[in-house]
Amino acid sequence: MFDFTLVMLISLGLGLLAGGVMHRADFCMTATFRDLFLFRSTTLPAALLVLVTVSAVLFEGLHLAGALVQFPLPAYGLPSLASLCGGILFGIGMVLAGGCVVGILYRLGAGARLSLWGLAGLIAGSALYAEIHPLWSTFAKTTTFAAAVTLPQWSGLPPWIFVLALVAVTGLTIWRYPAAFVPPVGWRAVAGYIPPVYAALALAGIGALSVVLLGVPMGVTTSYAKVAAVLEQALLSEHFAATEFFQGQTLDLTLPLAAQPLRGGPGPDFDGIAAIQYPLIIGIVLGAALSAWHLGEWHGHEGATRRQQFSVLCGGFLMGLASRMTPGCNVWHLWGGLPIFAGQSILFLLGILPGAWFGGRLLLRWVLPDDHQGGRR
Amino acid sequence: MNKVRVERIDVQGQVCPSTLLLTLREVNRLQEEIRSGAVQIEVRTDNRHATVTIPGAVKSMGMTARVHKEENGYLIQIGAEKVQ
Repeated sequence: MFDFTLVMLISLGLGLLAGGVMHRADFCMTATFRDLFLFRSTTLPAALLVLVTVSAVLFEGLHLAGALVQFPLPAYGLPSLASLCGGILFGIGMVLAGGCVVGILYRLGAGARLSLWGLAGLIAGSALYAEIHPLWSTFAKTTTFAAAVTLPQWSGLPPWIFVLALVAVTGLTIWRYPAAFVPPVGWRAVAGYIPPVYAALALAGIGALSVVLLGVPMGVTTSYAKVAAVLEQALLSEHFAATEFFQGQTLDLTLPLAAQPLRGGPGPDFDGIAAIQYPLIIGIVLGAALSAWHLGEWHGHEGATRRQQFSVLCGGFLMGLASRMTPGCNVWHLWGGLPIFAGQSILFLLGILPGAWFGGRLLLRWVLPDDHQGGRR
Repeated sequence: MNKVRVERIDVQGQVCPSTLLLTLREVNRLQEEIRSGAVQIEVRTDNRHATVTIPGAVKSMGMTARVHKEENGYLIQIGAEKVQ
């Protein structure tokens, strides 16, 4: 059996770094889309554009230098309407939850107990997906509309042409709208604050390290399905044994460091996915906790109302379900798939935009109005 | 000298984006009184992002904001420029 220790240590280190950076910057992918619609804020979308562009340059540079064992990166599938539908549902869910699948983690690390509701929802949503998996995988297969995983493969053009085009678009955007890319006014007055664009550069570097050392970009959501599998196996063993989804394999990659295969799936076993994702999750939580503790900001506030707790639970549930429908979470697709122009990730992005808009409507209409009155002291 | 009325908002532990939404709603509701120096708003939050977004937003409305570190988060004071 392959020794997972090195993989786990690398993942833990990447998680610690990512958690610390995300906490310092409050680098929230939910706010990136939600605040674009609610407040017309372009600071975080600009940072995401930088992250995707720099990641694309790094990934392609590593590819051309021969530093990547598999390219395009493994575990991205053929584009289908499943990714678009999953993106819409994910967009709604992350806004209702007040954070995405990693946003919940770094906030939990900083002491936000509200995130626990989101975690519970993520596990429950993953468990529900296991029930609809046969139906949904049929839908995904029948709505697949390309035989290529990425745009470069589909077009027959080399990836560097797409990277150059993306760099040109980003450069033009920076030239045309420079204010969106500069750090916010007064940011130096906030202890330990990292402006979003700087955080984007750091996270692009961490993502590139993940690709070089582990062979895959960062992602965490299969772990929530694995936890659901552990619970279902313990509580409903017969039903678990008959559930096809938990028996499958979704990861089959060659580990760059050892040139060995690393496999895994959503089942309860401690496999390659568990070795990569469990330490990454722990690292993000710990990294944020250490950052918050170092700044003297670790807290355990309980200011949320029942309605907010229910919203976070529902949002987590939708994200858990959607991240298996897509398949993949926002970090997997936006930080890993978009930079290689994966069709699934482009469709996920197209879905997340209307989803975040609609989630914002739901948030204003059903979750926050009464709480605003309650917030006044 | 007239006494300044202080409106206090506590959004610690609440779901995002409560801090920014509630603060902007109160700032809009009280903007004339804030600009005249009659009212200040104090926001207690644990949302780091709000510590840069709120000062930026109120500055564009002709007000100022000061961010103070507290034991469990931040206190953001919003008022007229001359009061600050």
